[in-house]
Amino acid sequence: MTSLGLAWRSTKRYRVRAVLAVIGVAIIGALLFDMLLLSRGLLDSFADLLSSSGFDIRIVGSEGVPIVRFPIDGSTRLAADLRALPEVRDVVLIRVERATAQVNGRTPRDVTLVGTTQTGGGPWTIVKGTNLPSASSSSDRCLMLIARRLAAALGVVPGSVVDLSVRPAGIASALPAIACRAVGVVNFAFAATDEDSVATTMIALQDALGLQAADADLVLVASRPAVGSAAAVRAIERLRPDLRVYSNEDVIAQFNQNGFAYFRQISLVLSALTMTFAFLLVATLLTVSVNQRLGEIAALRALGIRRARIASMLLWESALLVGGGGLLALPLGGLLALALDHILRQMPGLPERLHFFVFNWRAVTTHLVVFGMTAAAAAAYPVWLTARLPIAETLRREVVG
Amino acid sequence: MPVVEARRVTRLFPMAAGPIAALRDVSLRVDAGEYVAISGPSGCGKSTLLHLVGCVDQPTSGEILFEDRDVAVLSEAERSRIRLMRIGFVFQRFFLLPMLTARENIELPQAEAGAAAADRRARTRELLEYVGLADRADHLPSQLSGGEMQRVAIARALANRPALLVADEPTGELDEQTGEQVADVFDRVHADGTAILVVTHNPALAARASRRVTMKSGSLVS
Ligand SMILES: Nc1ncnc2c1ncn2[C@@H]1O[C@H](COP(=O)(O)OP(=O)(O)OP(=O)(O)O)[C@@H](O)[C@H]1O
Ligand SMILES: [Mg+2]
Repeated sequence: MTSLGLAWRSTKRYRVRAVLAVIGVAIIGALLFDMLLLSRGLLDSFADLLSSSGFDIRIVGSEGVPIVRFPIDGSTRLAADLRALPEVRDVVLIRVERATAQVNGRTPRDVTLVGTTQTGGGPWTIVKGTNLPSASSSSDRCLMLIARRLAAALGVVPGSVVDLSVRPAGIASALPAIACRAVGVVNFAFAATDEDSVATTMIALQDALGLQAADADLVLVASRPAVGSAAAVRAIERLRPDLRVYSNEDVIAQFNQNGFAYFRQISLVLSALTMTFAFLLVATLLTVSVNQRLGEIAALRALGIRRARIASMLLWESALLVGGGGLLALPLGGLLALALDHILRQMPGLPERLHFFVFNWRAVTTHLVVFGMTAAAAAAYPVWLTARLPIAETLRREVVG
Repeated sequence: MPVVEARRVTRLFPMAAGPIAALRDVSLRVDAGEYVAISGPSGCGKSTLLHLVGCVDQPTSGEILFEDRDVAVLSEAERSRIRLMRIGFVFQRFFLLPMLTARENIELPQAEAGAAAADRRARTRELLEYVGLADRADHLPSQLSGGEMQRVAIARALANRPALLVADEPTGELDEQTGEQVADVFDRVHADGTAILVVTHNPALAARASRRVTMKSGSLVS
């Protein structure tokens, strides 16, 4: 019989002990797995969100950062210049304003008004109706997409007319309203679930602002796949050294360095703590069980069974307990992660598509490696105990004692 | 020809209150095929001597020669090998592995010795028949009586055809009648040419030995 076979038999023989250990390790392991998912989840989810827009580079004015932005002077020229770059495949101009939306003279609501040059799709999914048509093909001056929650609150369906008036920052009174026709009810990818957003064309936004030409405060650029974002960023920086150009990776890296590092440190500390519990649980159980079996073990040694064989039997016993619990921990942790993610995502101000717990294979691999190490560590003391066991003295003690 | 020889062995156990001399200057030789019984009052050093001869302990002074090799100069791995291949241990408390069947317990030392599966199976069947338990092969120790467990333990001790069987109070946990069954098995083992060294308080068992040795406070008296 192999060492694994022996270990399996012992585990089966002390069934209750084994089941308790496996359950304990599974619960601890589920926490560890969740910690691992959490430690990268937000970052991965954020990266996923950024790349889902189809644009890999964002440009903001020199004072701005991707989150707090100021209009970029001459952005229409800029868009044309960018399009001329061989590294660039597509360019979209975006401007975001605070505005109010009113339907049929009822109480107006504050909304986030997004103007975009992107037509025929964007970082949103259609719930009802259609996308923004390309501006030239439409007789309507202002067409818009409206967030699902807001549409429900205002009683807006595709075809409804909404009066939008912009309230520029620092100006007390709103600008004159323009009438916009809703063409689609959508879920915005970037908007918080509780954020009331509408999207329209840059042209319509200019009208709402009462300007001849409105400057964008964000320019999204898609690089040519063959070139890649890093090269495209360099080309844009050469073209316009006065602007700030970030690839999605840059944004993620910044996010990772600021703020998110604390998150990872905390989850590292908590992971280490949970694994200490798993280690203590299994090490204690194995030590107790070895102490109960000292007579048997001394007898095996007297019969010429090598130390290495007994050590590998104990290692396997540890591996069965820790491994069983560790494997069970994966589905258990997965379910727990779903529940916890659901709770965390009810936090106000989060984009709907942002998740805290995101499955990734790296977390599974780390989980398995950490569990392997824990199994070995938990077996270390019992193995040492049996390796230095004085055979004659133990045999005598088992009979006398 | 000696299987094992203890030459003027002394075994001290260092204690806080001063060392205890469990054995003092003891010499004992067990020849091939010989059946030796050691008896004597409790605490006189019988088990200590048996452990030295069985290569699970080392003397403080003097030497143990097992098949003419000085045990003191061997590595633990080499002593372990001698125990596996040349010595069979039988314990008062049997010490069968509780999670293994009778057959698996007997196969364990053979597997450790590297015997092929088919040879192990054949040898185990032969041994179970030898100790009269052919029909109990698949029973766990918990399903066997004390006498049956001890017979399985003897079969396990004989698994690798040792030159010497050592037994410490093999009938200590058994009633008179069951003890006799075990003694009968020992007689057969002896008759088949294996040397036996048995420590016992049981006069009926000691009487069956070809040579009886008595100990008193760490020394041989006869
Ligand atoms: N590991 C040890 N540590 C300390 N003292 C020991 C140890 N082993 C044996 N002794 C002592 O050595 C002496 C002989 O012990 P041993 O076990 O050999 O006696 P025994 O003849 O086998 O007795 P019994 O018939 O009760 O089994 C005793 O005084 C015992 O206390
Ligand atoms: Mg004794």
